[in-house]
Amino acid sequence: MMETGIPKLDDYLHGGVPMGKTLVYYAYPGVEGTVFGMQSLCHAMSNGVSGVYVASSTEPHRIREQFNEFGWDAEEYGDQFAIIDAFSGLIGADSHERYVVADPEDTRSLTQCIKNAMEDLREPGVIVFESLSTVMDLCGESETLDAIEEWNQYAMLYDHAMIYNFTAWPYSDDTLLSIKEDVCDSTISVGGIAGEVIFGQYFGVLKANWTDVIRKCVLFKVLKPGGVRAYIPKILVTGPFDAGKSTFVHALSTRAVSVDRLGTTIALDHGHVDHKGFAADIFGTPGQARFDPIIKLISGEAMGVFLVLDSTRAEDFARGRQMLEITRSFGLPVVIIANKQDCDGTLTLEDIRGKLDMPENMVIMPAVATTGEGVFEAFETLIDMVMEVG
Amino acid sequence: MTYKLGISRLDELIGDIKSGTNIMMIGPPISGKDDITNIIAYQGLLDANAAVIVSTREPGNNVLEWFERYNLDVPMDRIGIVDCVTRTLGFGAPDTDNIKMASSPVDLTGIGVKISQFFEHFWMEMHLRETRLCINSLSTILMYSNLQTVFRFLHVFTGRIKAANALGIYVIEEGMHDERTIVTLKQLFDGMIEIREGEEGYQMRAVGFTPKPTPWFDYEIDGANIVLRG
Repeated sequence: MMETGIPKLDDYLHGGVPMGKTLVYYAYPGVEGTVFGMQSLCHAMSNGVSGVYVASSTEPHRIREQFNEFGWDAEEYGDQFAIIDAFSGLIGADSHERYVVADPEDTRSLTQCIKNAMEDLREPGVIVFESLSTVMDLCGESETLDAIEEWNQYAMLYDHAMIYNFTAWPYSDDTLLSIKEDVCDSTISVGGIAGEVIFGQYFGVLKANWTDVIRKCVLFKVLKPGGVRAYIPKILVTGPFDAGKSTFVHALSTRAVSVDRLGTTIALDHGHVDHKGFAADIFGTPGQARFDPIIKLISGEAMGVFLVLDSTRAEDFARGRQMLEITRSFGLPVVIIANKQDCDGTLTLEDIRGKLDMPENMVIMPAVATTGEGVFEAFETLIDMVMEVG
Repeated sequence: MTYKLGISRLDELIGDIKSGTNIMMIGPPISGKDDITNIIAYQGLLDANAAVIVSTREPGNNVLEWFERYNLDVPMDRIGIVDCVTRTLGFGAPDTDNIKMASSPVDLTGIGVKISQFFEHFWMEMHLRETRLCINSLSTILMYSNLQTVFRFLHVFTGRIKAANALGIYVIEEGMHDERTIVTLKQLFDGMIEIREGEEGYQMRAVGFTPKPTPWFDYEIDGANIVLRG
């Protein structure tokens, strides 16, 4: 089994892609699909799998730079990594790659290189296509579909995994249907949330013939460095005055800003979290009752909520519960942060649950925001809950 | 929501251009199409639009230098350039706020992603609702990719222009392509700016905006201005 390295995707595929199987990242035009194949390749190589990248619209040295921009040094894998250069021939440039496609507009020429590369791989490896659609543009739709069948058979024969990046330009309906449903063992849809413009990107499993598919969509962002990150556009951090909300936001965030006066938040805290393949923007509300109208404004469209409580101040818990109501958070995934666990007079989690009158399934987690203790564990828990809902 | 080209006589004759319009600009080499494209983009900046210029013929920095050369007061936060040239010259320049690099003119997927990123940025973060997309030029893209491929690309992006209520300008070199290519591509556009060689220089007219084409006008490009005569 080869992990894809895309956050949550390996969970949805029950571990990744079995060797000998094929997967297509089926991306809609304008959506960042190419990075999926790159990330899968680099993740596989980091796990000791040999990788081959078929470059069809970018010069090989530029491909290496692109990997570096994402923070992946393909060169460090030495002979474990090779590029099939199906681009230089197109622009009449010289190539120093081990595998050079003499005529990029002829699938036979490409097939020969792929076959050579597969034979040269000493152990089962992964072959990733930069852009199957460019191959299709150059070689023709039916010719490419025939060639894919051949490549996939070779992959099965040698027990290699094949991964294609494909952009769904308006090809014929038959071609699109074939790519989406027939030619590969698995299809991952990489789409855009489109209105007037594309204002969000998501992926989800459409098909995987080796397992029961978990049909969930994950919003994502592409970071440089970093690659594909499952992305939560808005997580709310709320709670009573002086519970440690701003400290919590800053402890979690790679960058954060607070609008405060003399240390008290008077508008909002905003932070960006990038942790273990997940990215999120978090918004902290003020805690004082006089800011309640602002809190309502800040809290719209949140996908998950942290309710931060001072574990030593049971008298504020009613206000905490009230803030869940003000922010209309009921029904959303909520993690209650029992903060200030290092202080004297701290209540136990069960005491807090009782005093809040919260059900058994409400998640309450201990934390010390000033030291960062427990904050990332809480983040991971909330992300899991948000993804379960998604 | 309407647009003006910034070419005064033509604007008077064709009136406001409705949002979602895609325009082909076709003319012979060295007739000033680069300048005209930049002037149309600049008019957008003057009208508080955003401008996205896809440059397939020269590096993105050269496009920005055009605006500097004529001392134009360009709001840099409203201009985006998709540079399809620099990386093909072997330079590993990183993306900047104003210039995003595509791998090559072959990389239509990458070009499409960069255009979408600028549109998203201007719409979502800058709250700009009027954007001009200028692709200069389709002819370079057609040198590397076949007609069908370019047609598919344009089919998607002319649709996006309509969805975003934007204005699209697409430059084509006359004489570089056969008649079938031009006729095929014309289907995607709502109007044309045609340029031809006249007796005393070049002439232009607008087609498709009014029941009849406008008259041909001799023109001169003076810095960042186009002066139409006749």
